[in-house]
Amino acid sequence: MGIVEEAHNLRVIGRADGGRGTIVLAHGFGTDQSVWKHLVPHLVEEYRVVLFDNMGAGTTNPDDFDFDRYTTLEGYALDLLAILEELRLGPCIFVGHSVSAAIGAIASISRPDLFSKLVMLSASPRYLNDVDYFGGFEQEELDQLFDAMRSNYKAWVSGFAPLAVGGDMDSVAVQEFSRTLFNIRPDIALCVAQTIFQSDLREILGLVMVPCHILQSSKDLAVPVVVSEYLHRNLGGESIVEVMSSEGHLPQLSSPDIVIPVLLRHIRYDIAV
Amino acid sequence: MRGGLSAILQTLTPEAASVLTRSVEEAARRKHGQTTPLHVAATLVAASSGLLRRACVSSLSDTVHPLRCRALDLCFSVALDRLPCSSSSSGGGGGSGADSTAEPPMSNALKAALKRAQAHQRRGCPEQQQTPLLAVKVELAQLVISILDDPSVSRVMREASFSSTAVKAVVEQSLSSSSSSSSTTAPASTFTSPASPAIFASSLGGGLSHNLSIHASPARNLYMNPRFYQHRHSSGATAGGGLEEPRREEVKRVMDILLRSEKRNPVLVGDSHPDAVMKEVLQKIESGDAPPPLQTAQVVSFAKQLATAAVASDLSWIPAWIRELGASIESEMSRGHGVVLDLGDLSWLVESPGGASIASAGSQTRQIVCEVGRVVVAEMGKLVKRFEDHGRLCLVGTATSATYLRCQVYYPAMENDWDLQVLPIASRPRTFPKLGVIGNLSSSAVAAITRSQPPDGADSSGKILCSVCMESYKHQLARLVTEEIKKSPSKVEDNKALPKWLQLAKLSNGGGTKPSTSLLQAKEEEQELMGKQSTEELLKKWQDTCSRLHPSFSHTVLLGSPQPDSDLTLFRNLVHRRKIMLNASSEQPCSLPRSPVKTDLVLGNSRASNALLEKTHAERVKDFTECTQDGFSIQQRAKVTGISEKDAFKRLLKGLTEKVGWQQEAASAVATALMHSKPENWKRPGGGAKGDTWLLLIGPDKVGKRTMATALSETLFGTAPTMVRFGGTSTCSNGDDGESNMVSRGRTPMDRVSEAVRRNPFSVVVLEDIDQADGVVQGGIKRAMERGRLLDSYGREVSLGSVIFVLTSSWLPEELRSRHESLILLEEKILHSVGHGWQLELSAEKNPGKRCADWLGNGDQPTKLRKQSSCGVGLSLDLNLAVAMEDAAGEGSWNSSDLTTEHEHENGRLAVKCSTSSSASQWMELVENTIMFNPVDFSPLRRTVSDSISTKFATVMGDGCSIKVDEDAVDRIVAGVWLAGAAFDEWSERVLIPNLRQLKCNLQADDGVVVVRLSVVKGGPAKSPGDREWLPTSVAIAVDGLWTT
Repeated sequence: MGIVEEAHNLRVIGRADGGRGTIVLAHGFGTDQSVWKHLVPHLVEEYRVVLFDNMGAGTTNPDDFDFDRYTTLEGYALDLLAILEELRLGPCIFVGHSVSAAIGAIASISRPDLFSKLVMLSASPRYLNDVDYFGGFEQEELDQLFDAMRSNYKAWVSGFAPLAVGGDMDSVAVQEFSRTLFNIRPDIALCVAQTIFQSDLREILGLVMVPCHILQSSKDLAVPVVVSEYLHRNLGGESIVEVMSSEGHLPQLSSPDIVIPVLLRHIRYDIAV
Repeated sequence: MRGGLSAILQTLTPEAASVLTRSVEEAARRKHGQTTPLHVAATLVAASSGLLRRACVSSLSDTVHPLRCRALDLCFSVALDRLPCSSSSSGGGGGSGADSTAEPPMSNALKAALKRAQAHQRRGCPEQQQTPLLAVKVELAQLVISILDDPSVSRVMREASFSSTAVKAVVEQSLSSSSSSSSTTAPASTFTSPASPAIFASSLGGGLSHNLSIHASPARNLYMNPRFYQHRHSSGATAGGGLEEPRREEVKRVMDILLRSEKRNPVLVGDSHPDAVMKEVLQKIESGDAPPPLQTAQVVSFAKQLATAAVASDLSWIPAWIRELGASIESEMSRGHGVVLDLGDLSWLVESPGGASIASAGSQTRQIVCEVGRVVVAEMGKLVKRFEDHGRLCLVGTATSATYLRCQVYYPAMENDWDLQVLPIASRPRTFPKLGVIGNLSSSAVAAITRSQPPDGADSSGKILCSVCMESYKHQLARLVTEEIKKSPSKVEDNKALPKWLQLAKLSNGGGTKPSTSLLQAKEEEQELMGKQSTEELLKKWQDTCSRLHPSFSHTVLLGSPQPDSDLTLFRNLVHRRKIMLNASSEQPCSLPRSPVKTDLVLGNSRASNALLEKTHAERVKDFTECTQDGFSIQQRAKVTGISEKDAFKRLLKGLTEKVGWQQEAASAVATALMHSKPENWKRPGGGAKGDTWLLLIGPDKVGKRTMATALSETLFGTAPTMVRFGGTSTCSNGDDGESNMVSRGRTPMDRVSEAVRRNPFSVVVLEDIDQADGVVQGGIKRAMERGRLLDSYGREVSLGSVIFVLTSSWLPEELRSRHESLILLEEKILHSVGHGWQLELSAEKNPGKRCADWLGNGDQPTKLRKQSSCGVGLSLDLNLAVAMEDAAGEGSWNSSDLTTEHEHENGRLAVKCSTSSSASQWMELVENTIMFNPVDFSPLRRTVSDSISTKFATVMGDGCSIKVDEDAVDRIVAGVWLAGAAFDEWSERVLIPNLRQLKCNLQADDGVVVVRLSVVKGGPAKSPGDREWLPTSVAIAVDGLWTT
């Protein structure tokens, strides 16, 4: 096992021969690869499935977290490319949740040959509102959020997790998200959150030529539904939007019964041209 | 090829883009298959005033030989000549024209170089700025740097006696001087750049071109986080040793170097406080704590003198001072003391006193510093020479990697003249205490490891031999070398001062044409390569032997590697070795716990159904049964225990078909599925036999599904199944009852399921309309399916045992649904008709002509007419009366005149169902066996019922009057018959005929009545839940408004 594999807790499971293709599952902020636990069983029979943890996730070595490298999403995109390069599995179906969808998009601009399509779950090109853009957040709100993270991370987690998941504190999904969120070292979590919330991909969406499947909860604290429409209109390549009846920013964790079939459909079928 | 040239060009500044375009053109012109970094480098060099060329010139310390730049051109030209032509253009003469015009795609190496350039470019940007990957345009300088990093380019450069590293440093300096803000980040970035360290290591390592591939491969991944390298090894040490232990080790290493006979002047190179180690060393020496020869040594601090000089910002006195120093050293030595000269941080050699680097300072200052530095180096060299024989003068110093690199660039002679030994200091202690090597490391071993002269410079690969093996290796190497020399006598005469390209130039000047020189050089190169390869092989052989014989030794590799930047490679080897060692104990778990859910979709899979869109339902069902039966028979054949199972199968099938005769195919499918999945070969992945069985019955015919489940339970276990319904009020049963039942008993459906399972682990549990259950229940069931355990609302777990779960859903693939829509609607209507308080009424009408005034305005006529024609066969239905009666009966009944609204209602439901269909189809994917039910055609049954009523009426009443049976009444009777499974004849004997007789008696008094009507009225006794009697036990008789029961 190489350095990259070890650092990212890389796991390749499912069909050794590749089956119907390779699927890369990339988790979003505050989670780790376990967020895909409901989806993975449905894939392993047919696909080769690549799971990894983004740098900065609770399961990675904090010493590897380079605060400079990860001040922009490109740092993560380079990580992703490093993983794909290391594996040499050819073009993959990339399923990215939240920020990882954006990371996948960036990486795909640089190396479109490595991606056959992107499935973007709860993705947003920009979280801040702008003149002609509704991202869902105002700068003051974000500043408050960062302050809260800085001052008392634990308290922030217990407040943020139910909001993001869209359930009460007792629900399994919220517990799960809180767990993975709390695993992250607070300073790293803050850095990651700042990078994510300050990111703006709108300029480069047009350069994404890989087909994109945009999946979105009908109610999501972090990503308003209009955002998926914005993505759809501005992505350079083919794209398709499906708004699911689920709620919350982590629907694959909170409403797997709704989201998994949709995900599977979008993984299995390509956009009809 | 992907990502065409134009896309790549977008990421470059116009300047860089034009270079790339020209390179591609060059490759096309030469008919090369790919555009490689060599093409780009050649293009860059060809521009006489280009950046690369200027950098090459200024990288040379002494005056530039006029031939040297020409050599550069020549070497690149030769290198390009050696590249293979693309096969297609060399293959056919005709097609070559077209091929040559096409752009040769970028080679991977070039792509990688461009990526590197991009990464470097981004690093240079101000940190706060959000710079998307592509918003950054790669400048020419960055392109040059990354091209220089390419192994093939640096090899060619070396052939021309240029150091790509040195050239790169110059370019970087020009970069940093141009943008003062990034002056520190730019050079640093090249050191942390993932690809460069390895290349550094090899290019500094002494001109072994073929070593490059060895070095380059581990660092191939250009996207990698450079931190991984730094921390991978630190983890081991921090776990065991702490900081003190490694520091001591390093001090020890310095001491060992000082004690050597040659190359004994250590320079500690590292980016993290090498001076701390040095300080400790000097303290040790001063306090007399050092081993014998050093015990009495005096420490002369050059650095302190320097500090005072820095204030004066004038270095010119240093050479003189060094000469003075010589005298004082001599006097010390005459007294028998050794002298340790502490040079401090070597940065003073390459930086002006103010602290700015040479490049960033003005050219004048730069000149001065260079001049002074050169003199200092020369003087110091003399000093070292002078006391060489006495063996008592030692130089010690520290430097950062960047500083040391610059020293090498500006003062190439320094390393040799000063007799320096580079000692890399890692940013973190790099030891592996786990292996317990460090502790027993004897000083003699250390001395041996820190090799004296690396033979032929060959082991810059970082592998080191123990003293014994090294001895043998050297011996063999010497023999090999003499053989080599014998083999190629032409090489012996090569004069060391003249670089290879100059020999080449001589040759070409001497009349040799270009091809011949290139040929000659290639040959020479080949020989050399062979020689080096065999050297390398020899080394490798001994390394293998050594690691086999002295395994503990191979882990001490860290010590004394000659080059500051080779430690990465070194370290990789180590990591690798450690991996092998620890492999057995620390095997990584490599797969997720696999879910037990096996998707065994036989039918109804949405994909399959899409594909089979054309097939009729019957065909599909047939296909399905055939295929499952095939599967079954195959399995049967494979099994030796055929007979008993076959019997069981037959018995089951018989039981099912008896009960659900109209769903013949489904019955056999259910039986097959059960027999198929019953054997214990069904293992839950992740361990444990799977006793529970899951069936999913889809399609219309609620009764059929329910009956099937009941029949299954009765046949297999002899008990009635546990029914849990999720369908809400739309079920044919007393849906409200079911619902309120659950609520009133304060238990969730999951509790009921788990209770049933707990009560009897050998039973059938029916989960009706599972797709209409709420998410929690569905999730719970799914989890149970996966784990074989059921969790009730109290958090208690119940094993599923051998329970057969029958899930039902009325979902149908869309195209089937539309095909059978009328049948499905009819079924729903009929089933809806029961369950409300109703009763049958026989009424004798005296004035049959009564009409409802607003009847026509109702707008229901077309529907009714259609309904009438479709189902009212052989019956004269008096619709007027029906409406009248319905009006009398009040609103809300599922009467025929409600058909329109009902229809809409149904459409609404359909729409809803379509949207939630994913839920049902999802279940189909989860459950092992899905069985499709046909829609039931009720018309034969209806006909039988109405015919039978007419017949019975005629026999009882005689010919005098006729009976009209409301359609609604027929529906309800049909529904009752259907749901109860009761025989209609039995009911009519028991209920209808006595009532008819009574009616006849009542009518006797009254003449002229010709029409008797059987209709439905609202009201009547509400049925108690659990009442299995679906048909009314009595019929009301109404004559002239008189009601009797």
